[in-house]
Amino acid sequence: MPFVEIEGKQVEVDEDGFMTDPAAWFEACAYYFAKGEGIEQLTDDHWKVINYLKEYYATNGIAPMIRKLCKETGIPLKEIYELFPSGPAKGACKLGGLPKPTGCV
Amino acid sequence: MSTETAKGLRQPKRANEKLFRTLGIEPVPDEKKVEEAIRHLDDFRNKLRSFVVTMENCVKCGLCADNCHTYLGTKDPNNIPAGRADLIRKAYKRYFTPQGKLFGPLVGAEELTLETLEKWYSYFYQCSECRRCSHTCPFGLDTAEITMVGRQILFWLGIGPQLHTATAGAILKTGNHMGLTKAGIIDTLEFLAEEIEEDRNGLKVEFPTDKPDSDILYIPSSADFMLNPNTLKGAGMFFKWVGANWTMSSRITEAGNFGYLMDQTRIQREMVTRLYEECTTLGIKKIVWGECGHGWRAAKMYVASYSDLPGVAKIPMTHIHDEVAALIESGQLDLDPTRNSQKITLHDPCNYVRACGLCDQMRVIMRAVTSDFVEMTPNRERNFCCGGGSGVLFDDPAMYEYRILASNKKAEQVRETEAEVLCAPCSICKAQLYPMVKEHKLPVEVVGLIDLVGHALVFPEE
Repeated sequence: MPFVEIEGKQVEVDEDGFMTDPAAWFEACAYYFAKGEGIEQLTDDHWKVINYLKEYYATNGIAPMIRKLCKETGIPLKEIYELFPSGPAKGACKLGGLPKPTGCV
Repeated sequence: MSTETAKGLRQPKRANEKLFRTLGIEPVPDEKKVEEAIRHLDDFRNKLRSFVVTMENCVKCGLCADNCHTYLGTKDPNNIPAGRADLIRKAYKRYFTPQGKLFGPLVGAEELTLETLEKWYSYFYQCSECRRCSHTCPFGLDTAEITMVGRQILFWLGIGPQLHTATAGAILKTGNHMGLTKAGIIDTLEFLAEEIEEDRNGLKVEFPTDKPDSDILYIPSSADFMLNPNTLKGAGMFFKWVGANWTMSSRITEAGNFGYLMDQTRIQREMVTRLYEECTTLGIKKIVWGECGHGWRAAKMYVASYSDLPGVAKIPMTHIHDEVAALIESGQLDLDPTRNSQKITLHDPCNYVRACGLCDQMRVIMRAVTSDFVEMTPNRERNFCCGGGSGVLFDDPAMYEYRILASNKKAEQVRETEAEVLCAPCSICKAQLYPMVKEHKLPVEVVGLIDLVGHALVFPEE
């Protein structure tokens, strides 16, 4: 598996550049992956989404249904796509250190 | 070697060796790959009649070319179904026919090389196994079977897309493609029950999970838990309306079977084994399948012959569309089609119409639950694939571009109907069409068929 260096730490990622161990995430990871996703700045709304994803994953071991993510953060899907151009399931999960969703997504 | 030979070929991002080892596969080193592939081809020709028939009988009439959405979109001769099968056929001739052994290239025979295996990886993952070419072939040759052989051999060599291989890993871990946990499943279903209560004037719908002594086991697509909430809701409302004693299972929350798409041995069998173990544990009397095209084919056509467990054939298995259509035809459902009044068209999932005989049932439902239904052309068993079939839902740039090209034909069909809603009752079709309607600037909303049933069902307590 490849590694990337974030603030002097070696972070393991999969073939798609997603972290392999969500527990190894630290704040600088979000800034690092944001660059790769073409996101210039992380706003409060970005963090609202990232934090909700992280909390949900910690409790349930999986990313939430997208409709639930929108409802709980109060951010409509269209705006989530503006925040994370590759979408909530891919871009947002990557920034939060969640694994890339598999199957029919 | 592979990076060098892969140059210029459109290929999905491949899984690494570590991932393959978790699936019980020790990747074959490059210097052994060709030899191993020939050995597997020899095995297939000895046990698989459909493979030999297709290898021996193609006359290159060319009829399949314009019937393949992949060729129409990419104009790459290796994407002509006959040309794609030739990537194996040339080696078949070289090693297994007397004329090929003697005269080589003069009779279309060719040595198998690592370069050719790279082409297999490129083109067998551009074929969506939709079988429109088989439907139009004058000899009835099933070219998708060749894609399946190619993908299976590649898998055994340790070559496969990250997407399919990681999904196979999730199957072994959780019994579903998304890697859903029981906690996640229950939380999502509670959320959907609350949504129905809010949207439908206090209507209470239960979504039982792992409930013992249930009559019906409903098998949803795991993607419904992330992307397709209305399909799950529609199923829940339907089972409530008919008063079924039903449940879902957290051990087999998956209507699809990616094993069928890359490893029709160990991975495909895992799902079948889990299914029947759950039927025994929960006392199931009937299995009802959710909206998933390839998965319904894998279930309807292969489950009985794949299971080692006794007595499994006694449990009847139907698709939820069969159930709904039968109750509509016998006048037992109270439906209000004006609730779905927008102009709507139906995309026929390839595996339903060309592999499972699930075709008229969808029309029975459409006519009962919508008020402005228009067919696209061609339709039914002549319909074109969405371009995502067999899970070619890759998002790396070259493959994403391919998905857009492969859905050109579908976009053209939908545009001609001038519909506002596109019903695509299969999880792969939905995952392909959600982004593709945007890429093709089609002003349509993509929905499932059971979504519309749930919306149209009239409950006395509402």
